[in-house]
Amino acid sequence: MNLKIKLMLFVMLMVNISIIAQDSFTVKGTVISQTDESPIPGVNILIKGGSKGTTTDFDGNFTLDVKQGDILDISFLGFKNKIIPIVSQKVLRVLLEEDTSALEEVVVIGYGTSKKSHLTGSISKVVNKDLDQIAVSRVDDALVGQVSGVNIQATDGEAGAAPTISIRGVGSMAGDSTPLIVVDGIIVDSDFLGSLNMNDVQSFEILKDAASSSIYGSKGANGVIMISMKSGLDGKTKINYSSYIGFKEARHSDAYTFSIAETAAAELAANGVLSDRTKYKQLIGIDRSWQDVIFDGGTITSHSLSLRGGNDKTKFATSLNFSDDEGVLLTDNFTKYGMRLKLDSKLNDKISIGASFSPSYTERRRFDGSTHDILRQTNWLPVYHDANTIQYVDRNIYPDVQIGDYAIQRHFDNYDLYGDGSVLVDISNTSNTNPAAKILERERYDKKFKLFSSFYGQYKITDDLTFKSMVSGSYQDTKRSRWQGVLSNRNGASAAQMNEITQRSTYLISDNFFNYNKSFDKHDIGATVGVVFESRDEFFSSISGTGYTNDGVKQITNAATISGADAFEWEKNGISYVSRFNYAYDNKYLASLSLRRDGSSIFGSEYKYGNFPAVSIGWNISNESFLEDSEVVNNLKFRVSYGVTGNDRLNTGSVNPDSSSSTSSLSTGDKLVDFYPSLALLAATTASVNGSLQSGFSPLNIANPELKWERLIEINPGIDFGFYNNKISGSIDWYQRTSDQLLLNNPVSYTTGFSNALVNLGEVKNEGFEFELRTRNVSLENFSWKSAVIATTNKNTLVDFADSNGQIQNIDAKRAAEWINLEGMPISTYYGWVVDRDIPLEYLKNAYHPVGGQAQDVYVKDLNGDGLIDDEDKAPLGDPYPDLVWSFTNEFKVGDIDFSFMFQGSHGAEIRNMGDQYIFNQFNSGQDFNTATTPDQDFIKQKIFTDAIIQDASYIALRNINIGYNFPEDVLSKFKISKLRVYAAGQNLMYKTADDYTGFNPESIDRTGPTTYGYQRAGSPIYSTISIGLNLDF
Amino acid sequence: MKKYKDIMKQIKYIALLIIVSVITSCSSDYLEPVPNSGITADSYFNNADEVETGIIAIYDAWQGVNSTSLSDNHSVQYEFYLTEMRSDNTRTKSQEGEAAQFEFYNVEATNGIVANYYASMYNTIFRANIVLDNLAVVTDADQAAAFEAEAKFNRALAYFNLVRLYGDVPLIDKVISPLDLEVQYTRVVASSVYDLIVSDLTTAVSGLDNTYKTRASKAAAQGMLAKVYLTLGKYSEAQGLCEDVMGSGFGLMDNFNDVFYNERNKEIIFAIGYESALSSDSQNFSAEWMNGVGRSSGVNYVTNDVITALDDFGGVRAQYSYRNDASQTTQNQVTKYLPNGESGGADGKTFISDATLAGNDWIVLRYADVLLMHVEAILAGGNETTDSQALSSFQKVRDRAGLTTTVTIVTKDELLLERRVELAFENHRLFDLVRFGRAESVLSAFSAVNGLGYSSSDLLLPIPQREINLSKGLMSQNAGY
Repeated sequence: MNLKIKLMLFVMLMVNISIIAQDSFTVKGTVISQTDESPIPGVNILIKGGSKGTTTDFDGNFTLDVKQGDILDISFLGFKNKIIPIVSQKVLRVLLEEDTSALEEVVVIGYGTSKKSHLTGSISKVVNKDLDQIAVSRVDDALVGQVSGVNIQATDGEAGAAPTISIRGVGSMAGDSTPLIVVDGIIVDSDFLGSLNMNDVQSFEILKDAASSSIYGSKGANGVIMISMKSGLDGKTKINYSSYIGFKEARHSDAYTFSIAETAAAELAANGVLSDRTKYKQLIGIDRSWQDVIFDGGTITSHSLSLRGGNDKTKFATSLNFSDDEGVLLTDNFTKYGMRLKLDSKLNDKISIGASFSPSYTERRRFDGSTHDILRQTNWLPVYHDANTIQYVDRNIYPDVQIGDYAIQRHFDNYDLYGDGSVLVDISNTSNTNPAAKILERERYDKKFKLFSSFYGQYKITDDLTFKSMVSGSYQDTKRSRWQGVLSNRNGASAAQMNEITQRSTYLISDNFFNYNKSFDKHDIGATVGVVFESRDEFFSSISGTGYTNDGVKQITNAATISGADAFEWEKNGISYVSRFNYAYDNKYLASLSLRRDGSSIFGSEYKYGNFPAVSIGWNISNESFLEDSEVVNNLKFRVSYGVTGNDRLNTGSVNPDSSSSTSSLSTGDKLVDFYPSLALLAATTASVNGSLQSGFSPLNIANPELKWERLIEINPGIDFGFYNNKISGSIDWYQRTSDQLLLNNPVSYTTGFSNALVNLGEVKNEGFEFELRTRNVSLENFSWKSAVIATTNKNTLVDFADSNGQIQNIDAKRAAEWINLEGMPISTYYGWVVDRDIPLEYLKNAYHPVGGQAQDVYVKDLNGDGLIDDEDKAPLGDPYPDLVWSFTNEFKVGDIDFSFMFQGSHGAEIRNMGDQYIFNQFNSGQDFNTATTPDQDFIKQKIFTDAIIQDASYIALRNINIGYNFPEDVLSKFKISKLRVYAAGQNLMYKTADDYTGFNPESIDRTGPTTYGYQRAGSPIYSTISIGLNLDF
Repeated sequence: MKKYKDIMKQIKYIALLIIVSVITSCSSDYLEPVPNSGITADSYFNNADEVETGIIAIYDAWQGVNSTSLSDNHSVQYEFYLTEMRSDNTRTKSQEGEAAQFEFYNVEATNGIVANYYASMYNTIFRANIVLDNLAVVTDADQAAAFEAEAKFNRALAYFNLVRLYGDVPLIDKVISPLDLEVQYTRVVASSVYDLIVSDLTTAVSGLDNTYKTRASKAAAQGMLAKVYLTLGKYSEAQGLCEDVMGSGFGLMDNFNDVFYNERNKEIIFAIGYESALSSDSQNFSAEWMNGVGRSSGVNYVTNDVITALDDFGGVRAQYSYRNDASQTTQNQVTKYLPNGESGGADGKTFISDATLAGNDWIVLRYADVLLMHVEAILAGGNETTDSQALSSFQKVRDRAGLTTTVTIVTKDELLLERRVELAFENHRLFDLVRFGRAESVLSAFSAVNGLGYSSSDLLLPIPQREINLSKGLMSQNAGY
């Protein structure tokens, strides 16, 4: 027994000694695990010598009528029993110590739960202990580094932007690589991660191997994130209020920070004199990085109020939450409002019903621009003209510019530097409007209303057999609007425009399952059989207007012309038959078999149905007699799993431009084809005939009635271990995932009238190790220290790419940096020339203009030594997939104070940082080499086509740090408060990138296709947050 | 309690009943929903009206997609890259990207614009073939003949462009399956391609009337066939066809500039129609030709060589053909096809309506071209002519340009020059040079003066590399690539 509790009991005993024995009273308590302080559900609490007792609810709470002198026997499988004598305590906090000889954590698996010791697949569980104290506005952002095999990357640093999540590498070439999201057993769109409230989350379970996820059949190939939401409690209503406020600051790039002063010094040193341009720039008197203007930092706040309560029959949980994230970029903002109600009721011994209902509204204002475009502008340019800068305006061309107007580079040209008309200096290098105007004069919003609701009924047919039927619906209404005002573009009012997209999605699922569980002798049998129906209906409409003369009414209604309008509606249906059989003998020998048969409407008539089997076995060696009594080994399990899953998501790219993954677009380029890919479709077209539009129909695609889902086959052997009473525990997994019959837009000859046909071809392999090690280094009454190391390696290989093998792709014809998709290498591999050496500054036309400019070109290597530089000298230059991702976490507890931190890192990925081209102004003619003097010009190529901009994207970050104080309960009880915690936390307080990386976020990746992945056009910055918060329970 | 158990029992059955009924009530089309935002091909092209929508789709293909994506077919919107920018008339403003390969005569087989135009032409041919394959459902014989004529006109025009740009090309004269690999990659000799073009245009001449200017017409078919015959050296046939067009009520606009800013005027024989401000039916080449108004920083910029020709021999046409770029005064822009007819204000780039959604129709064939073809037909490959009919046609074109001195003799080079200044930036120059047999001499000289890389193999574009790759050895590349 805990010393503190002993002490407390003693004090209580003293206080109560004189009190005469009373009749029964009610004691309330919470049972928590001493190991990780998570509440333990299902704990038996019995009054010794009688039959009275209860069990704890999902949150470890119990209520029991007792009388003085009763002795409570508290027991739970996997923990050591605890005896507590009742004196007069009304509130109990019971810490149970793990009995590591029978570790019995319950893990949520697809369509059911399992004892952890019986698991044969690879499933990681993350309990929300303090994830809600990480000041991020999306739950997925908080999962970084928590689990092996899961790579969560801040590919877009805007407020509210979804990170890219990939589980065990990227296997799909054209489909969606985002994991399936399941909330309380219900499949939802990954977009729901953006509206969940972390305070409502109980735990995450991540199904990583195919055997675990194949129960989700054609949806499981990217892994599954199962989210369990907090349920109601038996007993007095528990009220929780949690709040934090955080201050965010963008990481700046030093390489992208220039100053006129430094350039001037370099110029003076090289040439002995300053050019007129440099003199003029200094005269204007402004010298600051545009990073300071557009990375304006921000505040993040969150408030969450929850009430949970009920009785032994009916329980409820309800919550309200609000959060606002200003983001670190100019204008970006993400506001979230949510509400949740969850009810569970036992009508009688046989029947229980329940329902949940959670509406949410999010409003996201986008940063409607591109950082590269803004940061390439020059240091001396002010945002607005003031009394000083107005005097430099070329009045002949710009007679109307006034103080307060946006300053444009061209305003500053033709300046009479010496006041005598002898020299008119031009310093502009673009006709673009002011970079800030491009952002501030645009308004781009994503407004989403989501409603997630479910209803279930469960019937206990016998003690072993239950039937559960659940109907759930998720509804999403999205309005995206994009206003580009009259000052937002260099082309002025003619470019002012409004675009509005409305999307409505309804997703209905009906799950109907029988569950059978029986234990007898040494046998544990579990079986699950069910059928699932799902139906999805989507509506999309888009309208664009032009012809605005002013910013008065930023609505379509004010447009002079409707320049485009579009509307689509489509449906997708599915039916699935699900079965699973689990068997354990003597808790030693484990086996699990499952089979799912999926029918999906989007595939060809010949392949509507597919089968997804899985088999896995395990051996709990530690339960064998020869290890049973081992002092060292308390848990040792070998397991092997094999499973087949599929990927049927080929729609999200063209419909949902901000879906959570940047690798999520099969773009057949047409929404209709994306939803009915197996049919031969005709598209409505129009043509102008003698001045009026006539409509026509033309074929849209090459039909493929044999189209089917992408298939993933995975084999995953693993070991779970625990030594010295789980002081050291962890797991090691090796996996090999082979994704084949990939959905590819395979090229066909143009002479067919098309360019591509959607087919199942190709194969990708991902393989790697996962390692988790958790240690309890010190476990004393008043001091504890725990550590965790999590590491994942992955190797991605393109095995078969059919007719596209060796294809070279670019994503921008103007700056055609290339990728190669070559069998034997990772899917997306950078391709180009190899840098030999820089061109000496003396050969540049003007190395000191513009400020921060660098040479556009570089000498490259003649790899095949034939004396000339051509395509034959190009080579693979790296790939965007990390080889190793890791985290290292430490948690300390000293009395009432706790402290934790996590370092997290990623190694081996490269990024194509096109930001260099823009921000170093390489396209400026001043940075061109002088064709008259430069030697060996045949060996010169633009840097963007070489490895000069292929940079190491590795990083090491201090992801999270948290220090908190838990007020002692004896103090709090005076104020009727059961728990109060205050804390300070930080994210990314240290963020170290590789030396050759010049940008501000090595994780940031532009949205391109999976075969041209790793493109960063400056991107959006990583940011650090310092926050303070409190958790208050009544 | 007993009653309660009964209810329980019933619920058990009800639950089972629900499952069974849900499973069985799933109708067979549950997994085969019918799209309601599009039509499936199997259920279409059943009558004349539906076949006519297929014809409209051909013109949609000619229009091309107004976007900046290389994966969309841009069709005639990209044609200037492959024609004017490979002649001595135009170039890019800042020599960047794939676009600059044309002016330097170092086009690579991987060039996306080359592939895009190839794809666009075959898409047009495909749409024409669909109409031809579905004519059987058109019950009215006259209507069927008219549809056939119209589809064949368009198919012929696409092949005429292909054969002149790429040489021997695959000949697809019906809808093919993606699995018919041989025909997709077999390059048919140009003469056979011309056989199909002549045959198609002959059918078109007999089946069409002169109702439309932005759909095929008899005059358009006659004019195009005349040009095909000129290319093949069949001058008397060409002369007759030109004279047929000259007797069909077309005429020259009094003011040269009005040709380009009065849609479907009396001089227009065939044009690709566009509508301004509509993203699906507008064009962006007008914007691309300006200074950084479109996606590029400026393409189809005017060479000094053509400026000299226009200034010296163009008469009033010079001022209506190009102008100095107000934003960059060392550069010159095309002024035929200014976006929606707007000048772009003081800096030449500030447009009132969205320049990237321009509505200017693209003129494929106009009357002045026919008049000059008439002269060419009479010249019949000779070096000069004093034929009065030829002089009359030549004089009409010159008179309108304000060059009213009576012409008494026309030489081949004078005719070529006249075509250059009359039809500058209308994508004729390169084809004219080749047809007149002057490409080699003119382009070599031009290339030498400007430090470009012309060689005779540059007269044909490469077959897109992706087609060569997909053919797995079946398809050969043009010489020099």
